[in-house]
Amino acid sequence: MPQFILRRLMQLVFVLFSITFITFIVGHLAPGDPVQALMGNKRDPKLYEQLRHQYGLDRPWYEQYAGYVFGVLQGDFGKSYRYAGRPVWDLIKQGVPVSASLGLAALALSVLLGIPIGVLASVRANGVFDRTAMAVMLTLFAVPSFVIAGVLQTLQVILYQNSLPNLPTSGWGKPENWVMPVLVLAAGTMGYLARLTRSSMISVLRQDYIRTAWAKGANARRVYMVHALRNALIPIVTVLGPSVAFVVIGSFVVENVFRVPGIGFVAVQAISTRDYPVIQSVALLLALIVAVMSLITDVLYSLLDPRIRTQ
Amino acid sequence: MTFTILRIFRSRVVLISALFLAFLLLTALFGPLLYTVDPAMGDVDNLRSFPTLAHPLGTDDIGRDTLARLMMGLRVSLAVAVVVEFFNVVVGAGLGVLAGYFGGWIDVIVARLADMLFAFPGLLLAILISAIFGSTAVEFAGGAGRLLLVSFSLALVGWPLMARYTRGQTLSLKERLFVESTRALGASDRHILWRHILPNLAGLIIVSATLDVATVIVSEATLGLLGLSAQPPQTSLGKMIVEAFNYMTLNWTQVLFPGLVLALLVLTLSFVGDGLQEYVERG
Repeated sequence: MPQFILRRLMQLVFVLFSITFITFIVGHLAPGDPVQALMGNKRDPKLYEQLRHQYGLDRPWYEQYAGYVFGVLQGDFGKSYRYAGRPVWDLIKQGVPVSASLGLAALALSVLLGIPIGVLASVRANGVFDRTAMAVMLTLFAVPSFVIAGVLQTLQVILYQNSLPNLPTSGWGKPENWVMPVLVLAAGTMGYLARLTRSSMISVLRQDYIRTAWAKGANARRVYMVHALRNALIPIVTVLGPSVAFVVIGSFVVENVFRVPGIGFVAVQAISTRDYPVIQSVALLLALIVAVMSLITDVLYSLLDPRIRTQ
Repeated sequence: MTFTILRIFRSRVVLISALFLAFLLLTALFGPLLYTVDPAMGDVDNLRSFPTLAHPLGTDDIGRDTLARLMMGLRVSLAVAVVVEFFNVVVGAGLGVLAGYFGGWIDVIVARLADMLFAFPGLLLAILISAIFGSTAVEFAGGAGRLLLVSFSLALVGWPLMARYTRGQTLSLKERLFVESTRALGASDRHILWRHILPNLAGLIIVSATLDVATVIVSEATLGLLGLSAQPPQTSLGKMIVEAFNYMTLNWTQVLFPGLVLALLVLTLSFVGDGLQEYVERG
């Protein structure tokens, strides 16, 4: 076991290197002059050189990369172009808890709805519930989140126009603001989890030990929930990592469609002001979260299924 | 043998999806020739109109005809998809086959590059690249530059998957008896690659590319929605949807139409892709 975790940690080191290297290179090649951005409209060659030296921009790129990684490790994501000299972290830190709570709520909802729907569908495979639920889940998974957002928002507008109870289509702060973004963000992952749970359950239900469980007289609840689900959940754990990636990228869209002030929203605003370090840092932060989550998933998986460790 | 591919149409879902896709493709190609309304021209008397005789699908907030713009957006989506898949097949499959066939340093380089790109959530990297180099691309090549950049960024995050598939298949193909016998007969690597490896991979490559088109179209729409893809006067499906959000309370049909086209495009593509996959795997 420790060996497996060690090997996985080595992989994480490579992944972290890749992520920081890619964001560094993209930022390094970004158009515009960071030093001039710091100086604003001033033209002063001496000050220019001084600042260039101060920020280490006169050093070779690999030294700059080392400096960049070192900074990130200490929570220094660089300085904004737009707000001269303000640390990027200052600009995105308010968005972090917003994005995190939105993402976690969506992830929780997709697990809490997706898995039970998949289990119920597998109980009577090809029955009416199975067919309807799986068609809906396929649609939720295949249709892009912003289209679902559009459909839901349109519905709210129609409700509003007919003076029926409705939910706000944008904004953040009140509890009712949560409903739509969380639903939309959860939709894709929920569809995916439900379909995966169903197929995983169906293959487990064919096993001999399930027949044994029925034969010894266990009731349906015990067979499905204890004998079958426990094993059916193992492959589902493996997709939690990719699900996080899905939610993270989805939050970019959802935050902008519903005007939720998370880091995805901040990043898109930074696009229009060409504040590259902000975009770069948000991408880095999100990629790091996805990398760490996929590590946790793998370790969890190896705890659940000992066969994985020996591979 | 030539027409066994038609078997996939025995499934009604695949047949309907393929017909619908053909319809969309023909609309994108020839629609603007038949329906000659200028997509950039605003009809100031009919702002945000619901579907009428003059504007079959209504107009947007500055009176531009939605049907004409939809066809333009469809063209953008499909053009980006074609460029990305071209790149995916040439670079991704090309490198994958070479890496699998020759092994050695080329394999190491391709595998490492692919691993590096896999480490970064795909669409996130595409967002990063199109956001940072967008203005540069426009300076170089105008509106088309932006679309090329979007295509490039999506291809950059897409090729490693194609390379991984083809590499694995090549590894097992090159050990097969017919390849060994060809080599024993004195065939060159080039001959084996072109005549024996690639024809055997063609099915797999076509299936992966088809299934990937749906992903690319959604990704392009997402970039469009974030303002990173087509710029005015051009448009894209994602951009049309997000622009229509702003006046949804006045006219919800303008969110509906591009959304519906996008959703159906993605669903039918995945049905046809699944049908093809089944055909290739089962023969």
